[in-house]
Amino acid sequence: MRRGGNAWSWFWMILGILYFFLPLLATFLFSLRARLGVLSFQAYQDVFTDPDFIYNFGYSVVWGVLTIIVGILIFVPTAYLIRLRLPRFRASVEFITLLPFVIPAIVFVFGLVRTFSQPPFLIVDSPALLVAGYTVLSMPYMYRAVDTGLRSIDVRTLTEAAQSLGAGWGTILFRVILPNIRVAILSGAFLSFAIVIGELILAQYLVKPAFAPYLAYLIQQRAYEPAAMAVISFALTWAFLGIIQFVGRGGAQAQIGGGR
Amino acid sequence: MTHLALTNISKNYGDNIVVDDFNLDVMKGEFVSFLGPSGCGKTTTLRMIAGFEIPTTGQVIIDDADITQKAPNQRNVGMVFQAYALFPNMTVAQNIGFGLQIRRESPDVIKQRVTEMLALIHLEQKGDSYPNQLSGGQQQRVALARALANRPQVLLLDEPLSALDAKIRVSLRAEIRAIQKKLGITAIYVTHDQEEALSISDRIVVMYDGRIEQVGTPFEIYNFPSTAFVASFVGTLNTTEAEVVDPKAQTLRLEGQQLQAADGLEGRRAGEKVRIAIRPERFNFASDERKDNVLDCTVENITFLGSIVRVQVGLGSQKFYMDTFNNPFLELPEIGSKTQITCSREAVLVLSH
Repeated sequence: MRRGGNAWSWFWMILGILYFFLPLLATFLFSLRARLGVLSFQAYQDVFTDPDFIYNFGYSVVWGVLTIIVGILIFVPTAYLIRLRLPRFRASVEFITLLPFVIPAIVFVFGLVRTFSQPPFLIVDSPALLVAGYTVLSMPYMYRAVDTGLRSIDVRTLTEAAQSLGAGWGTILFRVILPNIRVAILSGAFLSFAIVIGELILAQYLVKPAFAPYLAYLIQQRAYEPAAMAVISFALTWAFLGIIQFVGRGGAQAQIGGGR
Repeated sequence: MTHLALTNISKNYGDNIVVDDFNLDVMKGEFVSFLGPSGCGKTTTLRMIAGFEIPTTGQVIIDDADITQKAPNQRNVGMVFQAYALFPNMTVAQNIGFGLQIRRESPDVIKQRVTEMLALIHLEQKGDSYPNQLSGGQQQRVALARALANRPQVLLLDEPLSALDAKIRVSLRAEIRAIQKKLGITAIYVTHDQEEALSISDRIVVMYDGRIEQVGTPFEIYNFPSTAFVASFVGTLNTTEAEVVDPKAQTLRLEGQQLQAADGLEGRRAGEKVRIAIRPERFNFASDERKDNVLDCTVENITFLGSIVRVQVGLGSQKFYMDTFNNPFLELPEIGSKTQITCSREAVLVLSH
C-alpha cells in the first residue's frame, strides 16, 4: 500500500474513533462533576445507593434472563426443525424474524395492549406479556445467532448418529445439538440482554419496572446521575461483548471430520 | 439362516424411482457390500435399513422381526457415517458410551464396555481426547467403536473410508473386516470403490440406476459379470460387439477375425450381434504362449502403472487393453509394430445386455 493510502486510512480511523469516543468522554467527564469544583465518583455512588436504581435495574435483569430462556426454548427447536426437516420454510421464517426491524416499537406495544387488554386474552398486566414482547424484539438476534451456530455443524448427520444409538428428540436436542451451539446461543443471549436493558417503549407502556424508563425519568429530575448511568450502560454492553469474544475464542465448537 | 431380509423394497420420490424392487437375504455374520456409482440407490437402501428413509413398498426384516415402520432409535442398528459424526462436545470415551447411557446401563457396565471397545480399536490411551484431537482414521475407528458398543443386530457403514487418504483406507478397511469377523456381526457396507468391495466382502451387490445388477462373491462378480454394466464397472474391461458365427460351436467374428467362447451363445442366432467382454489380464502375447484365440493387432500405446504394464492394441477399428506384470526383463514390442495377442475361450464373456 502506498504511503498516501496509509495516511488516509489512519485519518479516517482516527476520525471515526473521535466521533464515537468524544461524546462518551464528554459524558464521562460530566458525570464526574457531581461535587462542585472537584472531579469525583459521587454521581456513581448516588446511583448505586439509590433503591430505585437497584429495583428497576434488578427487574430489567430478571426480564432479560427470562427473555433469554424463552428465546432459547422457542428459537433453538425452531431453527433446528427448519434446518433438519423444513428447509423450504427457511426464507419465510427469516423474513418473520426480521419484522421487529420493520415494525416500530410503539406500533408493536399498542398492538399488544389492544389485543391483551380484553377477554379472552386479558393478560396486559402480567409480566409474561412484557417478556413475550422482549422475546419478539430479540428475535432477529437470537434466531440468527442460533441459525448461524447450526450452520457450523452437520446437524443432519449428528442427529442421525444419535438416533442410531437410540436417542430420542429431547436427548438429541439437549445433549448433542445445544452443547455444540452454545457459543452461538451465548452471543444471541447477550445481544438479547442488551436489547432488554436498553428498551424503553414496551416497559413504559406496559407500566412495568425497568432500567430504561427509570433512566428516562431520572433525566428529567437529575443532571449528573443520568450521565453516570449512561456510562454504566456502555460499560455493561462492552463487558458482555467482551465475554462473547472471550468465550468464542475458546474454540468450544470443534469441526466434524470427513467430507462429502 | 437369513438374518436380514430386504423384500420387494422400493423407494420413490414422486415420479423419481430411486430404488426399484430390491430383494436380498443376508446371513448372520455376513459382510455384504453395496457397490455402484453415485446415484444408484445404494445409500438410500442402507438408510431404509437404518430407518432414516421409509420404503415406498416392501419390508425390512431383521431376525424375523419386521422393522420397516420402526423409528431409527428403536431398531438397534449401528451406523458408521462417511463424515464420522462424532459428537464434538464429548470425549472419545463419552462418544463410545453414549448409546449405553441412553439405555441407562450402570456406570460400571458402561466403563467396562468402553474399555473393551477402546482396546478393540487400539486407542486405549485416547479415551479422554476430543474428536478434533484425533486424525481422520482415528475418528473413524472411534465411530466404529461407538456403533458397536451397543451390540447392534446389524452394522451399517455408509462409505466410511471415502474421506480418508489411500493408505489409511487400505489399512482401516482390513481392520474393519477383522473386527466384524471377530464379533460375528452382520454388516452392510456401501461403497463406490470396487477394490474396497472386492477385498473385504463375503458378497457384493452391484447396483445401477436403483436396481440390482448382480449379487455374488467377489470372485463371481469379477470373473463372471452377468451384465455389461457389472463387467465395465468392476475392474478394467475390454467390451465390444461381435457377430455370432455358430452358436452351437460358440464361435464369433470380431473385426474379421475368429473368436472362440466357452459358453454364453445358447439361444443366439448366426449373424446376431452380441456384446462380449475380455479382462485385460486374460490376454498375453502369443509369442509367450498360444491359447485358444490368437488375434492380429497393432501396438498403439504402452503405459507403466507400477506393477502392471498396460498395452493398448488396435484391432481393426477397436482398441483393446492388455495387462501384463512388470519386471525389469520384460520385452515389449515397439509402438506401431504388428503383434499377436492371445486368450483362452473361457476369457471371452458373453454379456446378457
